[in-house]
Amino acid sequence: MMRGLWDRETVALMLLAAYLPLALFWLLYGGAEALARLGLATLVIAVWHLVFMLARAQPPSLAALITALAVAMLAPVDLGVFRLVLGISFGVVMGELVFGGWGRNVVNPATVTLSFLGFGFPSFGWPGFDDPVIWAAIPAALIGVATGVLPFAVLAGALIVGVGVYAAGVPIDSEVWGGAALVLVLLVADPVTSAGTTLGRWLNGFAYGGFVLLFATGWGGAAPVQIAVAAALLTSLATSLFDEIAVNLWIAKRRRRHGRN
Amino acid sequence: MITQEAGIRTSVGQTLRISPLVAQDDLVAQGAPLACLRDAPDVQFVAPMAGRVARISLQPGRKLSEIVLFAETVGDVVEHASKSATSVTTLRKLMQAAGVWPWLRRRPFGGMPGAAERPAAIIVMAADTRPFAPDPRLALAGRQAAFGRGLQALTLLTDGAVFVCHARGAPLFDPIKGVQSIDTGVRHPQGSAGFCIHTLAPASVDTPVWDIHAEDVAALGDLLDSGVMPMTRLVRIAGAGLRSSRLVHTQAGADLRELTQRITTPGAHMALSGSPLDGHEAHWLAPRHRQVTVLPRPRNGAAPHWFKAALTQSALPKPVIPTAALTQAFGGAVPAVAFVRALSAGDDEMAIKLGVLSLLEEDLGLADYVLGGGADLAALLRGMLDRIRKELAP
Repeated sequence: MMRGLWDRETVALMLLAAYLPLALFWLLYGGAEALARLGLATLVIAVWHLVFMLARAQPPSLAALITALAVAMLAPVDLGVFRLVLGISFGVVMGELVFGGWGRNVVNPATVTLSFLGFGFPSFGWPGFDDPVIWAAIPAALIGVATGVLPFAVLAGALIVGVGVYAAGVPIDSEVWGGAALVLVLLVADPVTSAGTTLGRWLNGFAYGGFVLLFATGWGGAAPVQIAVAAALLTSLATSLFDEIAVNLWIAKRRRRHGRN
Repeated sequence: MITQEAGIRTSVGQTLRISPLVAQDDLVAQGAPLACLRDAPDVQFVAPMAGRVARISLQPGRKLSEIVLFAETVGDVVEHASKSATSVTTLRKLMQAAGVWPWLRRRPFGGMPGAAERPAAIIVMAADTRPFAPDPRLALAGRQAAFGRGLQALTLLTDGAVFVCHARGAPLFDPIKGVQSIDTGVRHPQGSAGFCIHTLAPASVDTPVWDIHAEDVAALGDLLDSGVMPMTRLVRIAGAGLRSSRLVHTQAGADLRELTQRITTPGAHMALSGSPLDGHEAHWLAPRHRQVTVLPRPRNGAAPHWFKAALTQSALPKPVIPTAALTQAFGGAVPAVAFVRALSAGDDEMAIKLGVLSLLEEDLGLADYVLGGGADLAALLRGMLDRIRKELAP
């Protein structure tokens, strides 16, 4: 019969298109070293996708490139090949592939990888970003929202918290804003692992903004990206709760209106 | 346009045990009973035109496969004693004898309502937002009085309300006590019966809800007035396999090949009863359908290479990625992601809370289309509904 467009790989391609401005500016400013990190991350993830395809008949996905980009951009610097490969392998296998591949995972594999690297190798420094790279998060978010692959409410919720914090004059290091924005677009707004209901998505955005605020003001000595990644990890663990709250409220509202489900 | 052949059949997925009331080669009048349900002999299937019975095909267990008729130019029309249908009992008997009953559909689970069932509400669909669907307002043009009579009759069948769902426009009927007029949107699936029921009067195992097309209500009104059941309906013939689309009045069970043969483009094509989203390849127009879609038949190429098959077909159903397109495919009536996850995981309890009992496969046609066909939500829904029926409504 007739087939629509929005299968898994179309969404992955749309996400890649949305992240393209971010990737281009990062590669432009990062040069050969950034390209090498991206190549290594892509290679390791591709190998694991191939392993799971042969061992468990799981089709590989272009979403591997999105994970590779997020890891290559946000991973601690100067880790060396071995540690990076170890971290990516743990994150991609335990965060995504054992659940059945992209679309069935409950946490973002890049978030798991980055958290693993952060906790496992705390002596390595986190990356900083040039301003144009951070500004490129805006077109990325706009393309994602316009094509419907990035959840608007998650981005808007976090933005509202950010505006509120800025307006309240809370003293926050300027680099935290940039790191938090990049992590928001790359990790938190992932359509698969962010909340699925409208209310849940708003709560998801608020929670991320709240966690960033908490860590930025109360976690002494933490790097901006480290703060944002930790906030992303905690938020992604709470998304099921947000969805549960939203769905139960929706059901209760219907029960009040109709007297039955 | 009355086709030379017509076939009485069940809707897809429905099995009905019947007793034939005619034999092969019998001459029958328009509206004459051809068969009745074995468990409820009052519910009858009637001839859509005067003709000769060509074939009665039954499957094992006396399940209806199809009853085929050849049209005859000479033939009578059956007239019912409709003036006496003023009480619930007589109205039910008239509707069951005149062949209106199979045009009703119940939710949950779908299919024809039981002969003695009393619904919690009735939804009359005067809106159809599926692609290529004929505008029900065209079918109702000039039949306002008959439509009003039909609605008045439907109020007898339910203790709840009768809702008439229609696109914005001129009023379709004069105000009637117990009948509510509801504006639906114009974008699919806002005019889909399932989502209208879900919003207005959710169906449950104990509170079934019926839906019927507005044109069939007008036909009921004509039946009550004249005693003769109009057997033609407005059908849109459209699709990429045609040179031009058509709007015709034809009988229920019409022959799709005859309806389409003069206007198809050269080459292999397939004729679907129903819309491109929820239709199925068929020989005869399905009982409730008002659309015929002709599409070019996809070529059967060589089997894909094993490696490509491993890349694309090894894990079905494919995972569903939440996007704005998915939310739109559910018309914003249901938390789409939670609903799809409950369907995929087989979480019957959560799906019932989210309103699965109001929905049928055709309501998820758009979602399946949007997701590219890999998710197979309609099949998951049918499996879930069958499971719930087995457990809760044996």
